[in-house]
Amino acid sequence: MTVYFTGASSHTALGDNLEKAVTALGQVPEPGQAVLSYADQRQSIPYLLLPDVPLQNIEQRLYSVLEGVIGEALDKAGLNADERRNLGLFLGTSSADVSVSEARFQRELLENSETATALIGSNSIANLARWLRRQFDLRGPDYSFNTACTASANALMSATDMIEAGHLEHALVVSVELFNVVTAAGFYGLGLLSPQIMRPFDQDRSGLTLGEGCSALVLSTQPRSARDFRLAGGASMCDIHGMSATNPDGSTVEQVINQALARAGVSAAEISAIKVHGTASLHNDEAEVAGMQRVFGEDVPPSCALKPYIGHTLGACGLNEVLLFCAAADAGFVPGTPGIASPARADLGIALTQSNQALTPGPLLLNYFGFGGNNTSLVITGGEGAA
Amino acid sequence: MIWIRATGDYREAVSDESTSLKPLVREALGEPVRRIGRFIQLALIGAGRCVQSAAIDPQSAVYTSSARGDLDVTLEVVESLFRHGMQPKPLSFVNSVSNAPNFYIARHFKLAGRSNFVCSAYFAFESVLELACVDMQAGYMDSALVGSVDVATWPIAEHRRRLMVEADTTMAEGSHWLWLQRSEQAPPDARGEIVATRQFNGSEALLAWLEKQQLPTAETVLGGGQFLAPESLAALRRKSGIEQIFEGPACPGYYDSQSGAAISHFLASPGAHYLLHVNGEGDGPRLGVMLVRRL
Repeated sequence: MTVYFTGASSHTALGDNLEKAVTALGQVPEPGQAVLSYADQRQSIPYLLLPDVPLQNIEQRLYSVLEGVIGEALDKAGLNADERRNLGLFLGTSSADVSVSEARFQRELLENSETATALIGSNSIANLARWLRRQFDLRGPDYSFNTACTASANALMSATDMIEAGHLEHALVVSVELFNVVTAAGFYGLGLLSPQIMRPFDQDRSGLTLGEGCSALVLSTQPRSARDFRLAGGASMCDIHGMSATNPDGSTVEQVINQALARAGVSAAEISAIKVHGTASLHNDEAEVAGMQRVFGEDVPPSCALKPYIGHTLGACGLNEVLLFCAAADAGFVPGTPGIASPARADLGIALTQSNQALTPGPLLLNYFGFGGNNTSLVITGGEGAA
Repeated sequence: MIWIRATGDYREAVSDESTSLKPLVREALGEPVRRIGRFIQLALIGAGRCVQSAAIDPQSAVYTSSARGDLDVTLEVVESLFRHGMQPKPLSFVNSVSNAPNFYIARHFKLAGRSNFVCSAYFAFESVLELACVDMQAGYMDSALVGSVDVATWPIAEHRRRLMVEADTTMAEGSHWLWLQRSEQAPPDARGEIVATRQFNGSEALLAWLEKQQLPTAETVLGGGQFLAPESLAALRRKSGIEQIFEGPACPGYYDSQSGAAISHFLASPGAHYLLHVNGEGDGPRLGVMLVRRL
């Protein structure tokens, strides 16, 4: 049974229109700034925010973004009312509705710090899924994946598997990560944030830039067009090297890529392009590059990074980057990041495409690695350029 | 087929004062695990009691679920940040990812298989069991540790408010684990079989599915999950023809994912060959089903 991507929508730092977002690839934007405000502390950090949704009215902002993205994906999928109601919901996120619950808590602290209680209104990742089911009248099962930066990639894999197993006819995969103080302060405290644009695989790497993003994808056994993309195979494996770091010798990255290729029935030589995870920390770049070299040897396919464009959207980066990569592939190119990890600057031995480069048709490989030792690779086929 | 090789449980009431779980972690694993929070400790206790000293395949998967994730460390981070203006401690922040227990379980048992963590408000255990079984049947792994974890936070009065339960409710914590094996023949130590795990949009869909299963009703017990209304259980009993009601284990207090205790209790209690366990949701018609056969 083949499961197709039949309706997609995404809202990131490149805007709320995937087709337009693709036209912005080729020139890496400078991050904006977000102000972290907690207790009597204020600090500004670089952030790739949604350009058209100001950081205001935080207690409603998340919901309005989700409504727009999911509504568009559902409309594009063209499901009838019954099909839509019976969709299985697969949410992949790191912070879910933390932006809302922390805003409420901050407001209550200002009103009366004695009675303010944290996490009263919402205290579960699953709470957001319940809201989505009510809002869109979804009556199928819901699963909220929370495996750090691999969450929505794992949600996409499981949604595909559940349809293939006959448990569902259609599924809605949703990824979301919006600005919240807890996450930003946590990464700031870890010293992982870059003061400049992200430079994965580059000798001048200086850490990551957080980004905002929300995507939705409808999966179905009935294709909408001959160009529909599909998840040909994927793998997710546990890496016990460290809670926050992938094994730098590349062995666990090699295993997860090889398993994904095997699940897809694709050889390494057939991969036409790679979307790297690319968090621009030395440790994780080393692990990813070593793993790619173990799998591809000297013949690494054209490789690109999308985080310099939309930031690291953490648990949402799985689906956000799948849709952006697929949209670029459908337009016939591998996105380039000018000046980032050029052959002269790629100190670990794998350079990134420097300008948008014509895509040789073939399967796409996407890598994701998360805290908690969770490594995921996806192989995607279909579309104009990834047949 | 998917066999149940072992089960492991922890379920205890909590009082106004938090008690340390460190001795239980050491007892379950045979060694201490340092610098971890209560949520991870609970997971390790349940998983350790499940595997004990058995040799587990290094390619085994770890699938964990919870209704709310690690409320304990999340609260610590939120309180210190907004009330006290202190940035999260790096280790607390890193350990706040819900799948942190998967890492510590995998590290202890030296596992490198698939890893997943899923939250569900009413069907935490049912959901993770369903996902694990689908993935085992799809050939991702032959062996898996599958569990649910629910942690308490203090003060307990605030914990009750967060969980929206009555002020006089006794609260508890739970960690329930199964060790599953996929193979044609049952392993020598197998105690039961997961026949099916499904979710249905109402009782009609469940009953239609049940008819196809051709269960021997006289050899089957019907169990109602904590969120299934008594009248729904009675209606299912009437319509399904399954007369015997399965009495779940005595519950020490309220926690979210009590379904996790049902399978091990069924396997430990003599009686019917099949357990049909049906849970409901507090605000809708959905039903989560686990069908288990005793060996």
